[in-house]
Amino acid sequence: MNIDQKFIAQRDAQTDDGVIPLINVVFLMLIFFMVAGQIQKSDPIKITPPESINETRAQTEPNALILVGLDGRFYLGDEAITLTDIAPRLNALFEAAPDKQSFWVQVKADGDLSIDQLSPVFTQIRQSGLTKVSVATQLSRN
Amino acid sequence: MPLNLEAKRKKTAISLTPLIDVVFILLLFFMLTSSFVAWRVVDTPLSAPSTDQATPPVEQVKFTFVLKQNDGFVWLDQQRIGLQDGEFFRDLIQQNSEALFILDAEAGVNLQSLLTLADQLKLQGAKTVSIANAFKEHGAAHNP
Repeated sequence: MNIDQKFIAQRDAQTDDGVIPLINVVFLMLIFFMVAGQIQKSDPIKITPPESINETRAQTEPNALILVGLDGRFYLGDEAITLTDIAPRLNALFEAAPDKQSFWVQVKADGDLSIDQLSPVFTQIRQSGLTKVSVATQLSRN
Repeated sequence: MPLNLEAKRKKTAISLTPLIDVVFILLLFFMLTSSFVAWRVVDTPLSAPSTDQATPPVEQVKFTFVLKQNDGFVWLDQQRIGLQDGEFFRDLIQQNSEALFILDAEAGVNLQSLLTLADQLKLQGAKTVSIANAFKEHGAAHNP
């Protein structure tokens, strides 16, 4: 009996001892991901933004977000949209916006996308009468 | 009398296994949901600022850079310049610090090339770079 109890106690003790460094590491990783990462809504399509040395961050959230995929599909926010619908939809968003002065449109396009695929989008934005437009980039690593 | 070590051990009653389970789940959640891509924005205002300011429309010196291919070169008045040729851009911009630098791109040039050129111009001190001009459709009238 006594031997059994001793054995069980030893076994339990050993398990816990071995696990503590693991917990330390896991806790460190947890804190790292909590602090360094940011949780944000993922885009409906994968977009690799062009790299740029520009460091300007957006001061406010964009009022309208247009995504242009490499396959030439367009999204307004989460919703797939045809090219000719962009201008009327932007107009509707602008009319509904409480602060029209700071209304701005962000265009997220892939860095490998050619300009002639992108310019129709800008033509649509121009047609809707909006002028504050920004292209999304990521900070270049070198 | 034998030492009774077991009694002390038993005081650590909280089992670590459920804790680890929860921590692992939290870790997985944060690993999968967090993103490290820091998005930046390049402003490309679509039309010139309104002309109701006091400044009269002074004839500004303009340079139009035309990207023809994604080969790392840009054309300025029939002259082929490497995008990484920092000295050329620095000299040009120092001599014409108030000039307007207009970017243009032919079909097939990608966004990355355009922004690399804009980066180079800004890096060498250009004050006004018109990126949005490249987004004008080629059917529309160009006025460089």
